[in-house]
Amino acid sequence: MNWQALFLSLQVTAVASILIFVLGIALALLFARKHFPGQIIAETVVNLPMVLPPTVVGYYLLLFLGQGGPIVGLLGVHVLFTWQAAAIAAAVAGLPLMVLSARAAIANVDPALENAARGLGSSEPEVFFRVTLPLARRGVLAGLLLGSARALGEFGATLIVAGNIPGRTQTMPLAIYDAVQNGRYDLANQMVLLMTALAFLGLWWVRRSEQPRRPQSNAPGKAEEQRSQR
Amino acid sequence: MRTTSHVDKARLTVDVELQRGPFRLQINLQVGSEILILFGPSGAGKTTLLNTIAGLVTPDAGEIAFNGHIFFRKNRTGININLPARKRHIGYVFQDYALFPHLTTLENVAYPLWRQRDASLRASILLKKLGIAHLGNRYPHELSGGQKQRVAIARALAPDPQLLLLDEPFSALDLSLRERLQNDLYELQRESGLSIICVTHNLEDAFALGDRLAVVQDGILEQIGPVEEVFHSPVNHHVAHTLGIQNLFQARIVASTPGGNVLDWEGLHLEAPFKPIGVGEMVTAYIRAEDIRVLYPDIPINKAVSHNQVVGKIISRESRSNSYNLRIHLANGHELQVRFPAYSYSSLPLVLGHDVKLSLRRDRLVILVPNKGKTLKQSGFLTMAKED
Repeated sequence: MNWQALFLSLQVTAVASILIFVLGIALALLFARKHFPGQIIAETVVNLPMVLPPTVVGYYLLLFLGQGGPIVGLLGVHVLFTWQAAAIAAAVAGLPLMVLSARAAIANVDPALENAARGLGSSEPEVFFRVTLPLARRGVLAGLLLGSARALGEFGATLIVAGNIPGRTQTMPLAIYDAVQNGRYDLANQMVLLMTALAFLGLWWVRRSEQPRRPQSNAPGKAEEQRSQR
Repeated sequence: MRTTSHVDKARLTVDVELQRGPFRLQINLQVGSEILILFGPSGAGKTTLLNTIAGLVTPDAGEIAFNGHIFFRKNRTGININLPARKRHIGYVFQDYALFPHLTTLENVAYPLWRQRDASLRASILLKKLGIAHLGNRYPHELSGGQKQRVAIARALAPDPQLLLLDEPFSALDLSLRERLQNDLYELQRESGLSIICVTHNLEDAFALGDRLAVVQDGILEQIGPVEEVFHSPVNHHVAHTLGIQNLFQARIVASTPGGNVLDWEGLHLEAPFKPIGVGEMVTAYIRAEDIRVLYPDIPINKAVSHNQVVGKIISRESRSNSYNLRIHLANGHELQVRFPAYSYSSLPLVLGHDVKLSLRRDRLVILVPNKGKTLKQSGFLTMAKED
């Protein structure tokens, strides 16, 4: 087992997941609750990585992060061919899944409830954290899990912006590619199995989190009462 | 009759203009320590007005102030102010209650108090006050309409507001629950001195609860005044039409049994559904023009219209596009308006000056019960029994 690749993958996925969560929530909230000119274009751009070949996304990221790009030019930060670049690539790949799911979940929350919260003295952040997010939690969690799973499996864009440097930027998908190229099928088999298990767990958790929560236990005979009330 | 002393001091002043597409709202009114009924057809701008007061809708211009605090001000002179909803400290009971579905009853009521250490204690005291203490652990989807209503009121009252807005609070409730809640609200207002604005399009609610009545139509305040005054002297035909009362009259109760009341309208005896009013009292009652039937002289009378038969003389007759309006002069000197679709009674010669036999539908004859006349102490706000 290539433990280095596993730990690097987990590290990259963890950082990417944080990025996906923060950016995804912000974008989902923006798209679900505000209407601004060019909104459809903005939403389409955010969703593009889902349909573009990963190499195209990687190429754009290369321009964005590399020499002559805004990150180097404005911030003076060089991230190409580091694990941070891999995390950014993974986040960009996973973000659309989060935004799509969270946007739908937030749009589903009745704005009247948010207005009620405002009327009861809640500031905008309070409204979000005490009303909107708890009510949208299933969709948000599902989106985060899907996005993280996608980030864990990122290959093409990562290869372009972070390279395939063992111990530094070689994540599991890249290590599997290497193992197959070098004919080390035993190693490839182990890693493939592990990745499959992780992906399975992720999807299973998504499915489970989408199940409606059972009403909490209450006084007996409640169900009958409810039925009679309808 | 009703005192108006508690209305004298205006606490809330509203003077707003707002344009949304073709809809224009332009309202100027004052509210004191009282229950003001906002009455009007749907789409008249009642909810929009509540929302502007609550800070959920921003008017284009005007001023809203409460107890000397300016909530909103935008005019040519001076500085613009728009206090956000969370700083207005207004209790707002939404039409569909807007209870937080992810929180229990107790958590809903404690929601506005969350920064306070005794939040859940205060919330449970309120629940007890409203007679729903036993529902504290239930979620909104496990509550009936009346229970949700109570929770919404408790939540609105939790931060101790001095202004309470109610949007169609009775629309989803059955009659007995409706009356109880009206009593509760009335008593609450008298106890606490709250300013209450209550939106309704039900005449009986307006009469039972209101100190004053504001008739709103097409975004305009048509008339405002003590409820009975507006009822009895609408300033124009718009108001009369909005109120939907053509046949309003004063009558004396001559019999009252659980099966129904009998009214004496200056010699004309009429039966009406039961309302708890003492024999001998004068009441206001009405029947809509649509609820009066013309009876054929030669056809056996249907049981549903066999009550309240009266004879009168046709003094005017006009046909609209698809309906007929008759004015009937009765033996007691009063007039009745009768309206029916154009296709009815086509075989009946309804000739001016001739007598015609009518039936006033017993189940549609409405006795209006003013809030002053009620025995409030029996089901007070503080002593409410459990419901359903």
